Amino acid sequence: MTPASPAPSRAGSGSGNGLGALIRRPEAGSLFGLLAVFVLFTAVSGLVFVSPAGFASWLNVAAEIGIVAIPIGLLMIAGELDLSIGAVIPAASLTFAISVGHYGLPEILGIAAALGVGLLVGVVNATLVLRTGLPSLIVTIGTMFAVMGLTLGLSVMLTGSTSTNVVPGAFWKAIMGDFVGGMFQVTIFWWIGFAAVMAYLLHAKPFGNWIYAMGGDKISARNAGIPTDRLTLQLFMLSGGAAAFVGIGQAMVYQSAQVQGGQAFIFNSIMCVVIGGVLLTGGFGSVVGIVLGTITFSMVNQGIYFTGFDPNFGSVIIGALLLLAVLMNDTFRQLALSYSRKKD
Amino acid sequence: MRDLFLAALTKRAETGALVSLLAVILIFVVFGGADMGTMLGAASWVNFAANLGIVAIPVGLLMIAGELDISIGAMIPAGSMTVSILSGYYGLPIGVGILGALALGVFVGLVNGLLTVRTTVPSLIITLATLVAMQGIVLSASVLLTGKASVPLAAPDWAKTIFGTLISGSFQNIILWWLGLSTVAWGFVHHSRYGNWLYAMGGDKVSARNAGIPTAKMTIWLFVLSATAASFVGMCGAILFNSAQVSGGMNYIFNAIVSVVVGGVLLTGGFGSITGIFIGTLTFAIVSQGIYFTQIDRNWSSLIIGATLLLAVLMNNRFRTLALEVAPRAKRPAKA
Repeated sequence: MTPASPAPSRAGSGSGNGLGALIRRPEAGSLFGLLAVFVLFTAVSGLVFVSPAGFASWLNVAAEIGIVAIPIGLLMIAGELDLSIGAVIPAASLTFAISVGHYGLPEILGIAAALGVGLLVGVVNATLVLRTGLPSLIVTIGTMFAVMGLTLGLSVMLTGSTSTNVVPGAFWKAIMGDFVGGMFQVTIFWWIGFAAVMAYLLHAKPFGNWIYAMGGDKISARNAGIPTDRLTLQLFMLSGGAAAFVGIGQAMVYQSAQVQGGQAFIFNSIMCVVIGGVLLTGGFGSVVGIVLGTITFSMVNQGIYFTGFDPNFGSVIIGALLLLAVLMNDTFRQLALSYSRKKD
Repeated sequence: MRDLFLAALTKRAETGALVSLLAVILIFVVFGGADMGTMLGAASWVNFAANLGIVAIPVGLLMIAGELDISIGAMIPAGSMTVSILSGYYGLPIGVGILGALALGVFVGLVNGLLTVRTTVPSLIITLATLVAMQGIVLSASVLLTGKASVPLAAPDWAKTIFGTLISGSFQNIILWWLGLSTVAWGFVHHSRYGNWLYAMGGDKVSARNAGIPTAKMTIWLFVLSATAASFVGMCGAILFNSAQVSGGMNYIFNAIVSVVVGGVLLTGGFGSITGIFIGTLTFAIVSQGIYFTQIDRNWSSLIIGATLLLAVLMNNRFRTLALEVAPRAKRPAKA
């Protein structure tokens, strides 16, 4: 297969005709969804939705979810799940705020400590999943509760409060917690960069092929010499680290960190990934799809405020979109498999 | 002889659950100085367990059958809002409100079940979609119809007596419903052919279908049961507290899954028991509510829940391996 193209399916890579090639791409469904949502919202809410402020409203939300959604999507392609990110985000946020705001340590140490927390949770998740063979859903629910409890307990123990203020220095604020042009969070640029790097790794390096192989059939992948254990460890560390990064960013933007929050990221990131065309059962998906899914999700969530509909109606659209996305992927995949050449 | 005893003990799904429960109580007594007399007499954790338990049983049954239902998180407020809007806001008889709430549960369960059976999409994703959609529908319907996010409800005495009253001042009568549902489910799972079908489905769905088990019908009914049970819990809450809140419910998703898994049910299906789910729910309730009766800072309760869950699954895993190892040899071909 050519290095630049995603290698989504196990069913071979016969080029086929235009239609077959298009719908065989994992992001086909999410692209249609995104266009539909964009046209609908622009039609209903008018020019305000396509103004810079309109774009900023959903881009800021998309960037935060997106940084978490990419590693979650990669894990899902590899056949695993990580729910502990919901606890890692506030844990990292507080670690940074307590180190810098409460103890007055330099920012770089706070950032390192917070990232360390995320990476450590990833290592624990991966070790438990690999050593016990338990489903990662259960393992990461366990670590989610444990990290939540540790965050609350330690925060109260160290600072006597469930929230801590932090005022980062101008340099750190500028690169991690500022608004470009007064409305675009710098997180957006981190997200774009991260997506580009991950897209390169997933679609142009052996790392990517290995992930697809793992999600397709883990045992065969291991027998073929793919270091599945090391990959699992790397992926869980990546998701823990990405969640920690988002947590640090939040502490920088809001200049405070608290124990609550982060829970919403669990299901939101899964929804973005699934709308983006990744299969929960593994082996199928792309970074472009995940990014498109994240944009669609955020556009609905934020765009609903421009439309004059009841904001809660946004959830109904997301639910319907999610169902449509999975049903469409279901059909597309069957079509795609029937279009591709049979293996001989 | 020792092997036979060990085999009998480790083969039961609830052994691990019982060990977890005893361990939690022991920790609370030894390290927390818990006053067991006060705690056992307290209503707070029993009420908590009953509300959670009614949802945990069908969630556990689904898990034994190899499926997941997280839409329960939206069905609890949905049941609560439906009865309050119908009987509180529109003044319809309470019977209509109750039927409405249960019918909504049946409907959402049918949607979940049919989509699961008809497509190849995992039920986690399908119920995630219905979860979000129902959250939105409940909130916007309540704002659209009543203009408020909280609706008062004054239920007549008979409805309160059946669905929402406090026994001896502090015990919610939903506890009786929980005990009833557990007993019925126990008979259904462990003493009827449906139980065998359930385990067969979770063990290997394709083989089960080939053996003539109506797997599709079973799956749909299980989803109907779980959505309706969740709606029932919400409805009882609204009748008891005289008002419906749209928030809350999301916690039930993880709490129910944790209870069921601590109770020894295998997430991948085919293994578990009603007794185990019951004990798992008790364990969860004692950790999260019983901690108030100890000197342990309650902020640590999530940590204890997480640790309990991880230890419980590891223990259950170990027990299953042990059960397979010490099982009577005659039934298996000799190892090479």
